[in-house]
Amino acid sequence: MYLVANIDTGICAATSCKLCTQYCPEANTILYDNEAGQEKGLKYGSAYVAVDRCKGCAQCVWVCDNMAKHNAIKMEMIDQIGDTALTENVTYGEKTSHATLANPVRG
Amino acid sequence: MSLDYVKFTPGFEKFMPKEYRDMVEHGPFGKKISVSQVGTFKEILEEHPMCAGCAMTLFIRLAVVAFPNPEDTITVGTAGCGRLAISQAAVPFVYGNYGDQNGVASGLTRGLRLRFGDQPKDVVVMAGDGGMADIGFAQTLHSWFRKEKFTTIMLDNEVYGNTGGQESGMTNKNQVLKMAPLGKKFEKMDMLGMAKVAGCAYVATVVPNNPRRVESVIKKAVLVAREIGPTYIQAYTSCNIEYAIPTDKVMEDAKTVETDRYKFSEYITDEAKDYLAQLYGYKEYLPKPVAAVEGK
Repeated sequence: MYLVANIDTGICAATSCKLCTQYCPEANTILYDNEAGQEKGLKYGSAYVAVDRCKGCAQCVWVCDNMAKHNAIKMEMIDQIGDTALTENVTYGEKTSHATLANPVRG
Repeated sequence: MSLDYVKFTPGFEKFMPKEYRDMVEHGPFGKKISVSQVGTFKEILEEHPMCAGCAMTLFIRLAVVAFPNPEDTITVGTAGCGRLAISQAAVPFVYGNYGDQNGVASGLTRGLRLRFGDQPKDVVVMAGDGGMADIGFAQTLHSWFRKEKFTTIMLDNEVYGNTGGQESGMTNKNQVLKMAPLGKKFEKMDMLGMAKVAGCAYVATVVPNNPRRVESVIKKAVLVAREIGPTYIQAYTSCNIEYAIPTDKVMEDAKTVETDRYKFSEYITDEAKDYLAQLYGYKEYLPKPVAAVEGK
């Protein structure tokens, strides 16, 4: 098993910094859903990780902890994070993206 | 310039490659996008085999997002790490033999101008410090002296990272590397100074720990190269493998190096300033009102 970044939607959707999306070295990997926080009554959308693209560098963790100071991203074992985003389940809409969540290990 | 020509002719969508359709429907082709919107559209750059946490990859990603007209852009590269990512993008990539990239780009730029006339086709060279300051040095400088109108971007990781850690001309003096165990004997080459002497119209240094600044310098460089003359960007893109930087400390290193010895700098000729102000609305380059000048 290996580590991937996992973003706490509750913390992320209370802010609107989007820094992690700009600092990830991998393209199309940390994405942003403008409507992610709505169902929890939060103000903004949230970033999320297409874990099949994540190489586990943890640069986003440093950026979130030290630049944004939100501490919303943790590195977690891929078999421990439950349902999450995968590239094949990402759809793009008008100025947003959205992922139907699936288990990255079981598929 | 209108971007309407990027739209599909009705009925012909299905004959276009999926990668191109994705770029038009969900990506930046035919639209104006910025770095602040990443994560909400499909990026041109795709999966690539570069190392985890590589700052060069981040810079390439930001640079590609910043192309003013990606659908009309061709990238040129050469041997080195960078080409592993640059070639995995939905814009044409030309691979020059080691050191040839600025020669290839010169011919390409001239050919595109003959073929497409006043329809801008941007040529952007992205190569490493070895390909540009060592092996491709002559072709790089000659293209600048000839005033070839394209953008040259050096991905400066200060080492031959792809071949095990030999020193390059851009490595700092006394730096010890795996394949330079006694330390480098001479100073880092002043490519910025040479770019100015050779007549580049826009020269900038940048570090990828400031994405919006990267976006700004790339846009200016590409736009200036369309009409005014050659442009050069030198980007610090650390090699976390050869310099043993933990992947989660890459941005911390970038910040330290930027503060210490790779400060942001920008040189632009008056002609280029006037061009950006008049054609692309860059307010900072508009002539200052007479009253404000007198008040100083």
